[in-house]
Amino acid sequence: MLERACHLPGLDPDALDWHRLSFARGDTGPDIAVPVLGPGDIDRLAAHVRDNAAARLRAMPVARIVEAIDAVIVRLLDRQDPYRRKMEQMLPAVTGYDPEMVRLGLTRYLMTFRKPELLRFLAEDFPNPAILDGFQPLPKGGYGKAFGPPLLAHIWAGNVPGLPLWSMVCGLLVKSGTIGKVSSAEPLFAGWFAQVLAEVAPDLAECLAVVWWQGGESAPEQAMLGAADLTLAYGSNTSLAAIAGRMPPGKRLLRFGHKVSFAMIAAVALDPAKVADTARRAARDIARYDQQGCFAPHVVFVERGGRLCPRSFARYLARALDAFGHRFPARALTMAETASFAAWCQQEEFTHDAEVMGDAHGGWTVSFHNAGQGFGPSCLNRSVKVVAVDDLANVPGLVAPFRALLQTVGIAASPDELFRLAGLLGDAGVTRIAALGDMTTPEAGWHHDGRCNLSDLVQITEIDARAPPAADKLAFYDD
Amino acid sequence: MTHEPVVFRLLEFIAAEPSGDDAFNGLALTLFAYQFQNNAPFAKFARSRGKTPHTVRHWSDIPAVPINAFKTLDLTCCPPQKAAAIFMTSGTTQAGRRGKSHHAALDVYDASMRHNFSRCFMRGDDRLTMGILFPDPATLPNSSLAHYLDLAICGFGTGQSDWLLGPDGIDLPRLVRALDQAETTGQPYALLGASFSLVHAMDALQAMGRRFCLPPGSRILDTGGFKGQSRELEPDAFYDALEHTFGVPRASCIGMYGMTELSSQFYDDGNAVCPSVKSGPHWVRSRVVNPVTGARVPKGERGVLVHTDLAHYNIVTSILTEDAAIEVDDGFLLLGRVTGGDAVGCSVAVDEFLRAAAV
Repeated sequence: MLERACHLPGLDPDALDWHRLSFARGDTGPDIAVPVLGPGDIDRLAAHVRDNAAARLRAMPVARIVEAIDAVIVRLLDRQDPYRRKMEQMLPAVTGYDPEMVRLGLTRYLMTFRKPELLRFLAEDFPNPAILDGFQPLPKGGYGKAFGPPLLAHIWAGNVPGLPLWSMVCGLLVKSGTIGKVSSAEPLFAGWFAQVLAEVAPDLAECLAVVWWQGGESAPEQAMLGAADLTLAYGSNTSLAAIAGRMPPGKRLLRFGHKVSFAMIAAVALDPAKVADTARRAARDIARYDQQGCFAPHVVFVERGGRLCPRSFARYLARALDAFGHRFPARALTMAETASFAAWCQQEEFTHDAEVMGDAHGGWTVSFHNAGQGFGPSCLNRSVKVVAVDDLANVPGLVAPFRALLQTVGIAASPDELFRLAGLLGDAGVTRIAALGDMTTPEAGWHHDGRCNLSDLVQITEIDARAPPAADKLAFYDD
Repeated sequence: MTHEPVVFRLLEFIAAEPSGDDAFNGLALTLFAYQFQNNAPFAKFARSRGKTPHTVRHWSDIPAVPINAFKTLDLTCCPPQKAAAIFMTSGTTQAGRRGKSHHAALDVYDASMRHNFSRCFMRGDDRLTMGILFPDPATLPNSSLAHYLDLAICGFGTGQSDWLLGPDGIDLPRLVRALDQAETTGQPYALLGASFSLVHAMDALQAMGRRFCLPPGSRILDTGGFKGQSRELEPDAFYDALEHTFGVPRASCIGMYGMTELSSQFYDDGNAVCPSVKSGPHWVRSRVVNPVTGARVPKGERGVLVHTDLAHYNIVTSILTEDAAIEVDDGFLLLGRVTGGDAVGCSVAVDEFLRAAAV
């Protein structure tokens, strides 16, 4: 059956041309169509979304928006729901990820958008979330109200299922009209969210458009960037720089570039009683979505001096990845990806003189560095460098040159060490520290790339502390 | 086995008529044992893959060495300092590390080149007047291509043949003179060079407003590779331009594919149709494989080339290239260098990572 991606409130889908996207792997593949939109269509969608947000969303109490999002999430968590079934069926086919991994990943991910989590998300940025609904007293005196941009644009990238949900939810919570462009690698999730929203809260769905165009096409992008008050863009640093170059003057752009994460294992964790669990947790972080998410580690630094040596840990990790692969097989690679995987392994072995362990089918690779090379890229798809170091406190110095790219660090260490290392890593540019095994599942309200997700989007209109007393003088009850 | 008998057997094998898989297999296994014994880095590599002369029974089981390894390992059966020639890649990747092939002697390399060149390029002619658009071996002593072209001009060129690329680039007046002369005398002419040199020559001739119609029997040999040194042309546009500029039909424009990491070359039978089918001589076997598993991919599907070149006896016979290809009935379609996949997620890809460190 043909699946039409996107969500186009105010446009007649049958009046549009639709473009088929091919995701064929072998003989079968899902049949997905995306709308061919010109700049005029984008202008109309932008106006529709902006007008509806002004008329409906901006006056809606944030608590109601939370309820509506929660209702959508509950539906998507229900495995009998037709949209959830479509997700479980089509997302693995589109992205190539293992179906069971996608199913478990979706549930775990969607759980972080239930009502209590959304409230925490709000509280993280707004001590008093009512500031989104009306003027609230400010600690310095006076009153303030937070306004999201009337029209917020999103440019999404990559194929990790569900990623657009973060920024769509942010847009709704700050009451912005939203127009988001999906990536060709995973064009479905955002549109499905909007369609369920249309069933749960039709008012809200009029304030949200999900569009597609071929990456690099400039006319529709120009229309969207021109119409929006603020744009959130995700992607490689090259494509973000290109978007920044095309921004109309005076418009704001928030960039979320590709990131790199790594893990650190303290000597204390290399205890025979605990090492298998540590390796399993690290393997989970490496294998989930085949390392394509920016939370997944490229490198695992392992401290010498524990009861087991770093090389033993590398072997435990290799076994754990192998076991994980039996339960959740890795995505089939294209020939180009296979070639880079092979080239990376060869470079590790011959150029960096590493001990390379892997399975015969290229399902995973552990490259062990006992000395020499410190921080460096993995070729992803479950490939990781394990680097032995004398002291984990030296690691921040090794990663500091990559400051702009650093994101999550998974740490297995004692509580004192955790905080000591976190301080050093934060100074080097790292923005999130997690327990091993939790690297790829950030909690609700986390500061994405160290930023404030919601308060970054709004501007505060404040009433000077002296204004109400001055107004009092003009009140009918003034003596 | 020692060096001399190996060379003797190889020269015999090359000179003989193509024989079946058994003869090839026998010699390949002999060479594997010879390399395993004399080439320590290769023996270590083979052992790490669980392959020794005791376990390998068929040439296709000989572990293929990735060309990356040529940059860091001294893969040679003779001591490196005793090599008669060391050919190096021009690559500037990996902090200037260049792939090296040590040749204990050049008898086999030269015999391999001559035999195959004669069959695939000379096509029955003994000698042709040649113009070489490449630096000579004195200028590039470590270039296998310069040596190859030297063998061509010395072994198959007439006395009027000439190197046309000097330190200042193409010697245009000499090129024009040679082409004019061929047109006047009606003697077939052969132009040989790297693809980018041919593009430079065509650009320069076009700037002069010159076109030629070389006599029948003339031919062009391009050795592939733009390497960022000229504008890059799609194969069809490239061969059209050659035909247009020199008047040599595309069927007489022959593509050669060779590597520093080999001692033999591959040719197509002209480029009337692109992509053309390339194939090697009877002492080489090529397979198209999945570069991770090493398993052969089905005919007609993309993969990466593995060559087993018996003439590369002093180094390693089986190499894993980075060249994408599709296996077809009489050889393979060469698709160029494999490039890495684009990032599909939001984690940085290798290139972006390296760029960040370079800033």
